[in-house]
Amino acid sequence: MIAAAPGVAVGPELRARLADLYCAYDDALNDGALERWPALFTEACVYKVIPRENFEQGYPVALIYCESRTMLMDRVVALRETALFAPRIARRISSGVCLRAIEPDGLRLTASFAVFQTMQDQPSELFLCGRCQDRVVEDGGTLRFAERLCIYDSTIVPTSLVYPI
Amino acid sequence: MSAQPAASPREWPDDGPSRVPNWVYTDPQIFARELDRVFGANDWLYVCLEAEIPKPGDFKRGQLGNREVIAVRGTDGAVNVLVNRCAHRSMQVCTASRGSAKEFVCPYHQWTYDLAGNLLGVPFRRGYRGQGGMPDYFRPEEHGLQRLAVTHRHGVVFASFGAPNESLETYLGERMLGYFDRVFDGRELEVLGYMRQRIPSNWKLMFENIKDPYHASLLHVFLVTFGLFRLDQQSAVEMDDTGRHAVLVSRRGAQETNEATAQMRAFKRDFALRDPRLLDPVREFPGDATVVMQTLWPNLIVQQQSNTLAMRQIVPRDARSFDLAWTFFGYVDDTPEMRQRRLRQANLMGPAGLVSLDDSEAMLLSQAGIDNNDDEACVVEMGGRAVVNERHMVTETAIRGFYQHYRSVMEL
Repeated sequence: MIAAAPGVAVGPELRARLADLYCAYDDALNDGALERWPALFTEACVYKVIPRENFEQGYPVALIYCESRTMLMDRVVALRETALFAPRIARRISSGVCLRAIEPDGLRLTASFAVFQTMQDQPSELFLCGRCQDRVVEDGGTLRFAERLCIYDSTIVPTSLVYPI
Repeated sequence: MSAQPAASPREWPDDGPSRVPNWVYTDPQIFARELDRVFGANDWLYVCLEAEIPKPGDFKRGQLGNREVIAVRGTDGAVNVLVNRCAHRSMQVCTASRGSAKEFVCPYHQWTYDLAGNLLGVPFRRGYRGQGGMPDYFRPEEHGLQRLAVTHRHGVVFASFGAPNESLETYLGERMLGYFDRVFDGRELEVLGYMRQRIPSNWKLMFENIKDPYHASLLHVFLVTFGLFRLDQQSAVEMDDTGRHAVLVSRRGAQETNEATAQMRAFKRDFALRDPRLLDPVREFPGDATVVMQTLWPNLIVQQQSNTLAMRQIVPRDARSFDLAWTFFGYVDDTPEMRQRRLRQANLMGPAGLVSLDDSEAMLLSQAGIDNNDDEACVVEMGGRAVVNERHMVTETAIRGFYQHYRSVMEL
């Protein structure tokens, strides 16, 4: 379900295409199909995972800071081939996706997210929650993220952020 | 602080600092003694950067050891470090994580303190219509916020719960001071932001990790493959005279197969970044070294890996858990390109860092192996049993140095 802010005119077709994009994003991560994840972004995309305190104070440092689709691919390869980490399952749930504005450089959307984490032999726990600020564009007939900021609410990350959110 | 047992609660194994008994990572009594003797005594603890609180009234909350403090710049421009605890009923007087204040007012009964922690006012101190109030002998000057000894050098603030009998410069020692001044050379610093993670392991494992150059060549594919830190490179491990502080120093090498990289499973000759902007380091400090990781007893790691600079503050929580608080910074006179380079290279560091992710996960797995094996000990014998400075990386000498000092402080 994609909502629209008051005064933002959006037809059923665009709503459906946006819903498909948001669903495909969560699916790629929840299926453990990281290789599908970069394709949901444009070539010159910006993707950041940033604590709310940095975002609100204008500090630029982000936990993950990617400035192109190939940087996203590099991170996927690094996770697959180089990183050491304890086995875990991450589950991302998006909610309250809202089209805020339609601007010349793309569609502005926000959404809440929650990521649950299940470590081996442990109960599932809430890992991070927060909101996304997105810019979505038409890219060769497909809707893609030109910008996705994942702003998480807590200051603390439990141990490590392994998979993108 | 809880009362400490007079006698040593445990016996250290015979082999001196080349063995670290597992109970130092698990025993709550040992942890309580650490809060007292390591974090609560006369040592200088890292607090914050001056750039975080540039103007009078600016404050930042934080933790020293496991106690809440407020670092605040006073009206005279000096930084005060105050325990965040009202002298009346122990409520936290400051709830904002940062901001600007003219005074601190406890929300409970509005006891009011100035920026140096002096008690300014107590509502109804004289009672109401001749009834109640504080006794005549109540002296406000005896009921200020606890104020710590504070010192600073080149924009970095340190404080102590005790009464340090040495200056910060003497405390660091000449050799460590030289490395400290290499990054903090007096230029004005710019804060780039924070990262923070809670790691389910004993806090000492974090120090050991940054005092152990041996693991870096085996665990970290990123460091090894791109030659950021690898044991075939010209390197050094140096300590101060006590062994409590240390640096790992190295310089960048090539992505090439040689006698050393052939032994490293982590070395991937063909691994290349599709977007090389992530790793585009430029030399910015005098001398050959491209990485200097400095561990300063008892709560700070100064990270200079290529162009990513950060203070990593250790906040112990209990025997099996600590928080690692990262403050990334650059210099006010950085070019936009250098600033961008620092932000890109931050991808290697922090809770999601392509390098340091390996470390937080390794600490989690170390603690899991340590737990419930208190009779066992870790072997720290790479490079022998001595505590000496070395010009190579195949050594655990700085971990031995740390425990040599730790044992004397802890009387273990």
